[in-house]
Amino acid sequence: MRSLPPFFCLLAGLVPDPTMAQSDVDTLPGRALDEVVVTATRTERRMGGLSVPVTTVGREAIRRSGSLRLGDILAEQTGLAIVQGFGRGIQLQGLSPEYTLVLVDGEPLIGRMGGVFDLSRVTVGNIRRIEIVRGPSSSLYGSEALGGVVNIITDGAGSGRVGADLRYGRFNTSDISAEASRRAGRLRVSAFLNHNASEGYSLLPNALQQTVEPFRRATGQVQLGYTASPRLSLRMSVRAAEDRIRNTILVQNLGSRLLSRGYEQNRDVNLAPTLVWKPRERVTATLRGYVTRYGSDQRLDVAEQSGGYADRFRQTFHRLEAQTDIRTGLRARSTIGLGSVMETVRSNRYDSLETRRQARNDYVFLQHDWQPSERSAVTLGFRYDHNSLYRAVWSPKLSLHRRLGERWRLQASVGRGFKAPDFRQLYLNYTNLAAGGYMVFGTQVAGAEMRRLQAEGQIAQVLPRFDDLQALRPETSTGINAGVQFQASPRLLWKVNAFRNEIGNLILTDIIAFRTGGGQVFSYVNVNRAHTQGLESDLEWTPASRLRLSLGHQLLQTADRGVLADIRAGRVFGRDASTGSSSRLDRRDYAGLPGRSKHMANLKVFLTSADGRWNANLRLLYRSRWGTVDVDGNGIINRPDETAPGYLQVNVAAGLRIRKGISLQAGVDNLTDHRDPSNLPGLPGINPYLTVSWSMPRTPASSTPKHPQP
Amino acid sequence: MKQYLSAALASVILIASCRKEGDGTGTGTKVTVATVRDLPADTIIGISPIGQPFGAGKFTFYSLERNEVVPPTDSATRRWDIGLRGTTLITNSGNSGPGTGGAFVFVGLFEDLLRVPADSAFRTDNAPTNYAIPAGSNRAWFVYNPQANLVTPIPGRVLVIRTAGGKYAKVEVLNYYKGGQTPAVTAPDDDKIRKQRFYTFRFAFQPDGSTSF
Repeated sequence: MRSLPPFFCLLAGLVPDPTMAQSDVDTLPGRALDEVVVTATRTERRMGGLSVPVTTVGREAIRRSGSLRLGDILAEQTGLAIVQGFGRGIQLQGLSPEYTLVLVDGEPLIGRMGGVFDLSRVTVGNIRRIEIVRGPSSSLYGSEALGGVVNIITDGAGSGRVGADLRYGRFNTSDISAEASRRAGRLRVSAFLNHNASEGYSLLPNALQQTVEPFRRATGQVQLGYTASPRLSLRMSVRAAEDRIRNTILVQNLGSRLLSRGYEQNRDVNLAPTLVWKPRERVTATLRGYVTRYGSDQRLDVAEQSGGYADRFRQTFHRLEAQTDIRTGLRARSTIGLGSVMETVRSNRYDSLETRRQARNDYVFLQHDWQPSERSAVTLGFRYDHNSLYRAVWSPKLSLHRRLGERWRLQASVGRGFKAPDFRQLYLNYTNLAAGGYMVFGTQVAGAEMRRLQAEGQIAQVLPRFDDLQALRPETSTGINAGVQFQASPRLLWKVNAFRNEIGNLILTDIIAFRTGGGQVFSYVNVNRAHTQGLESDLEWTPASRLRLSLGHQLLQTADRGVLADIRAGRVFGRDASTGSSSRLDRRDYAGLPGRSKHMANLKVFLTSADGRWNANLRLLYRSRWGTVDVDGNGIINRPDETAPGYLQVNVAAGLRIRKGISLQAGVDNLTDHRDPSNLPGLPGINPYLTVSWSMPRTPASSTPKHPQP
Repeated sequence: MKQYLSAALASVILIASCRKEGDGTGTGTKVTVATVRDLPADTIIGISPIGQPFGAGKFTFYSLERNEVVPPTDSATRRWDIGLRGTTLITNSGNSGPGTGGAFVFVGLFEDLLRVPADSAFRTDNAPTNYAIPAGSNRAWFVYNPQANLVTPIPGRVLVIRTAGGKYAKVEVLNYYKGGQTPAVTAPDDDKIRKQRFYTFRFAFQPDGSTSF
């Protein structure tokens, strides 16, 4: 059995894991620091030597937690909150979903709605490992990596695994996964299929419109790897996914009911060919291509109306990228990359389905890291993005790592992140006739549309904001992370990280004009500044070899800087819920940005029997109250009735190996049946399930070869 | 129409909460703070085919001087000080009426506004594009939340009104829904539509013509 060439492992998604053969993840805390991750630096690094905070979630943890979709497992990680609205989005370090980049094997998934990438679109069935990098990472990944990066590493070809899972749970939820992986000489191939369906549920009794409508989702992925020579290898991944969700909308007005039925259908296809060439011992060149297409159709048939409503959205993202890693001596290495992205969008939300909007982005990134001594490391990187639609952006990052003795590790980083104005902010052309006749225009079309409306005499007043529209800038953030890792013993690891993100140029919708009759015209402007800051802490303890405990906590504080300035100036007021009287607010009354909990915590206990036949786990997830919607008209969260109550979710699961190759898992999510229809529509009541898994026993030859460390 | 008017009149409750000049520099005339409840302002009578609720398009006229509803037949007189139609408020000024009215929006607390500032710039109406009290969400007295489909008065906004007769009053809108209670965000749209356009506001009128309250 020949070893995989080390450079092959630089490809995201194919990092051999020596522990994979039998138990993929049972990572002891002591070994967690030896784990190899790729997302933080775009090269293979050991966790313990990293200078930025990274969390990994392994295959075994995902399986034992009984997760189905990406959002399920991310919700159980420290500091990550699931945000509902346009699907399930992820909040990282207190930043909204549009500021976290979601990657599959290093390539971005597209098709965000309202800025949110719906995590339900991704199955966890073939995920080998999830890497979560906290803090701005635009110096490597460009746009959207303000809060951080979530990189999903799928099972690579060559794992040798053949198996299937069948799960059934409440609400007629079924999930079927099958995978097969073969290795034949220089060729490795794997295939994966998943089908997930549910009747959905209704948290309110007798509702015509369910809280979650019936859906079905299918995912398929094929991966190929070919080692042409020790110096040259190729890889290809093809992934396709489709969702179909029923859509029922009931509007009741003055006794009349308007029932609309329809569906939403989303499709995406990704194609990622990669070529790795190692011309010399110290040089690795990677050429990556990526083609992805996303299509979304929403169709509603409105009763007693012909035509109904149809919404179509098509997006493509094509990228070509070259990356070269050079080791210059024992203690230094450099990475240089350059690439080009062509992105297009067409939709009837914009001008028409025929009008194709496009943006081109060319970029270069550099990263150099060196070790001044055995105990310290410095990484310096920057990236330059030149875009056809907005101003060029520089994203620098500096990070430091230092070991103090055998037990302490310090890490600190400062970096800039950005998010480019998206197509919606540039090209949306939307008129809502129902809710007061308001209109929303992207900045690139607002000028022409306003001239048209003015010519038609529809505009009553133009606000000064309108003149600022041409200069929409990318949203930016500066993030500082500083942390300590304390390895008290091989069985106890404590990690703590303090962070602060200073966000500028936040793009918000704002009124640019009023129509005659009072209707508002909105567009997008760079106005707000905000900050998020907090403390993340993770304790991992293995008191006995078969018992693993972890305790995570995040303390978070957020604020809109404009609101803080207004409060200082004494210009923010609130209204008492019971007396109706107004009063001036001070800093303590302001609860920060909506949707953010001050405390989030998790406690997990994983237990495995001595013979490995059975296992069990208990996971407690806590979230303190968070702001929902302004009620008293001041636009900020300052009253108890403007928040959702905090809650504790209890999940349990247990697994049993019946005989070789066949195992059972039973679990109950939300054991205490916690429900909050208005604030937690994504949390059904108590949710029991049963899974049967089959896997073909692997021959010793097919186990992953030992990987020489770089 | 008569029923409508008398109902509106009946709903006007005078709270006899008199208090003295705050700074003692005024004329000494006591200012009475009155609260008007459930004053209908072009309430919803139907919904257009595209789903937009509408009223009859008529203003409700109110005299702050006399604390009473003024019949629409007197709309062309100086008998009223403010007119209310949906979220649009007019003053008896400019092209809205023959009076010498006007208004501006003061940012601060009702209680803290003890005197109309000397440098105040009263605006007059130029319907339908430019009102003394600017129309639209988040401009003068209210904010409209399209997700919640609710109109909420902004706390800390006082409408300083020059009456038709050139005297001064201060007005704070307290609520826009029947019963003085804004429906919950989760209330059915039906509720939000039926109950809207009923004003609860409090005001203080200075009868002696001075600028102090």
